[in-house]
Amino acid sequence: MNRIATRELSMVIALAAIWAFFAWQEPVFLSSRNLSLLSVELAVTAVLALGMLVVLLPGQIDLSAGSGVGLAGAVAAVLVFWHGVPAPFALLLAAVGAVLVWSAMGALIAIERIPAFIMTLGGLLVFRGLHWLVIENQTVPVVEGGSQNIYSLLTTYYLPPVAGYALAGLTVAAMVASTLNARARRRSYGFVVDDGELTFLKLFVLAQLVFLAVIVTNGYRGVPVALVILGLVAVLVHQLITHTPFGRYLYAIGGNEDAATVSGVPVRATIIGAYALMGGIVALTGFMQTAYSGASTSTVGSLMELDAVAACVIGGTSLRGGRGSVLGVLFGALIMASLLNGMTLMAVSPEAKYIARGTVLALAVWLDLRMGQGGR
Amino acid sequence: MTQAVLEARDIVKRFGAITALSGVSFDVRPGEVHALCGENGAGKSTLIKLLAGVHPHGSYEGEILMDGHPAAFGSTRDAERAGIAIIHQELALFPEMSVGENLFLGALPQRRGRIDWDRVYAQAAATLAECGIALDPATRVGDLGVGHQQLIEIARAVARRPRVLVLDEPTAALAQHEIGTLLQLVRRLRDSGVACVFISHKLDEVFAVADRITVLRDGTGQGTLEAAATDAGEIIRRMVGRQIEDYYPRRQVEPGRTLLAVHGLAVAPPRTGGLQLQDVSFEVRAGEVLGIGGLMGAGRSELLMHLLGLWGTRRAGTVGLDGEDLSVRNPREALARGLALVTEDRKRYGLIPEQGVAFNVSLSSLPTLRRGALIDRNDEVQRVQAAVDDLRIKVRDLEQPAATLSGGNQQKVVLGKVLLTKPKVLLLDEPTRGIDVGAKLEVYELVNRLTAAGQAIVLVSSELGELMGMADRIVMLCEGRIGGVFGRGEATQERLLAAAMGRLGRAA
Repeated sequence: MNRIATRELSMVIALAAIWAFFAWQEPVFLSSRNLSLLSVELAVTAVLALGMLVVLLPGQIDLSAGSGVGLAGAVAAVLVFWHGVPAPFALLLAAVGAVLVWSAMGALIAIERIPAFIMTLGGLLVFRGLHWLVIENQTVPVVEGGSQNIYSLLTTYYLPPVAGYALAGLTVAAMVASTLNARARRRSYGFVVDDGELTFLKLFVLAQLVFLAVIVTNGYRGVPVALVILGLVAVLVHQLITHTPFGRYLYAIGGNEDAATVSGVPVRATIIGAYALMGGIVALTGFMQTAYSGASTSTVGSLMELDAVAACVIGGTSLRGGRGSVLGVLFGALIMASLLNGMTLMAVSPEAKYIARGTVLALAVWLDLRMGQGGR
Repeated sequence: MTQAVLEARDIVKRFGAITALSGVSFDVRPGEVHALCGENGAGKSTLIKLLAGVHPHGSYEGEILMDGHPAAFGSTRDAERAGIAIIHQELALFPEMSVGENLFLGALPQRRGRIDWDRVYAQAAATLAECGIALDPATRVGDLGVGHQQLIEIARAVARRPRVLVLDEPTAALAQHEIGTLLQLVRRLRDSGVACVFISHKLDEVFAVADRITVLRDGTGQGTLEAAATDAGEIIRRMVGRQIEDYYPRRQVEPGRTLLAVHGLAVAPPRTGGLQLQDVSFEVRAGEVLGIGGLMGAGRSELLMHLLGLWGTRRAGTVGLDGEDLSVRNPREALARGLALVTEDRKRYGLIPEQGVAFNVSLSSLPTLRRGALIDRNDEVQRVQAAVDDLRIKVRDLEQPAATLSGGNQQKVVLGKVLLTKPKVLLLDEPTRGIDVGAKLEVYELVNRLTAAGQAIVLVSSELGELMGMADRIVMLCEGRIGGVFGRGEATQERLLAAAMGRLGRAA
């Protein structure tokens, strides 16, 4: 309990320090426009990280996610803008394709026992090659059709201000209701519940953050639809991993695969399912990231898998599997997105950016190991 | 009489509240083979570990003498330096390296900082010749059979010129003809003046090679006998001699229909030829407890794992569950059919340590705990709470991580998980190992309740007392085959042990 609290607190402090640093170096960092852009970037990073969480929980990994993001975005872009396929249909097609390909990788990992690290490292290279092949090494702009094209709308549509406030109100109401409900249930089961004041404080801070986000983004163009997508994905993944048998199986496999097998957990099907879900999320991230870049180019999605892993680990997900939560991953993704956004604002050279990302990833894993030892 | 090389006098060794050895004396002289016999847990391994310095001087009472002078081994290194070499049950060779490298690893002859390969192989050849092993020292160890590997292991010890050589179950993994070669090597070493300590469950081997035999039982010496002046019957009597003092509250019930029927089962281990289980047949009826015993490596756990679809390839035979053919590919199917297993290795196969009690208990029953796609948390908590109350699992709350529970409570969590699936047949593999007496009794009471409710139980145990006390019938396995079947009342410790050693009819 104490250990977790320390960890949470140190993350908040780290985030505050990062924001303070960037605000000091580039006051523009805190402008409505930049924070609005940051929220779109957060959405893209966090959605992929939530998929990575589902893969990491059973002790697997997906290094091909970044390449997959580029490929899925490219396939959809080429279908829509070169072949005139209607956007909804093209997106669906690319997403179904991704789910199938990731299921196949999952099957090779779970049934043929190819280590996930190697399998998806192979995927990384194969998908990158296919990506470049699909776009014929050109730039495929994702702009035509403007407001009619749901593909480019993914990151360019903003909710009208009123809708934003309404959504914030609904979100806060839902949060309060579910928290109170959960507290009542937990108390009836005789479980430990947080102290009432602490719960109120947490809710209060969260509600303020939600409204603050809406106010800030309304100061630019409104709540980005990408942020709404992130919210939906987060709720879905949270429900999936905490309230379904599938989710329990993910934790069980990551916690002790042998015991899970003896307990009748369908280990193979669960791992394949985790990768199938990752395929869908990779496609969704691919559409968002490609739309955000404005075009499918050969660099879209590059190294995003590592940002996703870093976000998970910063958020308390164990690389050995069996531990991790949606809230933690959202937080980790916010740290990663803030770092990338701030460095771009400061016009940090790409070389230095690589070095910084790599350092953060290694630091996060080191931290995870240190924390892990403390618990054993 | 020659002076003993190594002598242990009045050794008392305690682990916490448990006394593993109480006043054991043992000695071995140059040029003799002294065999050490006893049931699992009699204290053989503890005694060996003491002589090898694993349990250092000061952690036990009594004296260890080398050549009549007190010796105080602070570590295994000290014991090695004094000339004591131990060959453990598990092989510790490097399969990718040559025989020569394995023989001298850690002490490879060098010249000017580089390994002198000519000398390595010359010395290796000399050592192999000395041991009478006809092998090229350049052979890769991984290419050798288990028998030859075991001989290399001994040669490696011999290369260090030991004065005392301890062989702990050296023949456990060997085929019959390989055993002959190994015993030959032991005799050869004895004749060259090495003092040999030989531990084996197989009495025919003991009698083939030993000059003297010491029997241990429950941590006490049961006398040292001249091999020529005694027989297997006498040794077995001394090994089991105690009366059963433990309390086994078995209440028998009238058995009902046959729930589990195994006929002529033959199973091959994964990825190898040969059969590890052969011609195994038994039946268990509703309300009945079938005990399965046998020595280490007899195939007890393998049998249960195979029934659950976890281990081995079936070559022959049928398994029937409640009248229907049962051949499952994984535990999921087995559980769905009503066959559940509580494994011997709780840590490895039983629990998800980081997760809470509720998570662990409901893990096998989640498909039945759903409301739509989601888990019905109310239903889950109620059923888990009922299991926790029923089994009297002591927990702070249902979210307490399983890893933080005591051994007995962990075992109850595993039992709770299995019982929540409402199995028809329950396989229990060493269900009371490592748990305290109170928890043991509760497990026995649970067995009574389950059989009274018409479930069938297969109880695997290495404690003969537990088998005789709790089982309605006992099957003893011996090297993968059935060594004997006993009804309640027919079984005596002598007869069970004789069956486990494949000597039924001769010793009993």
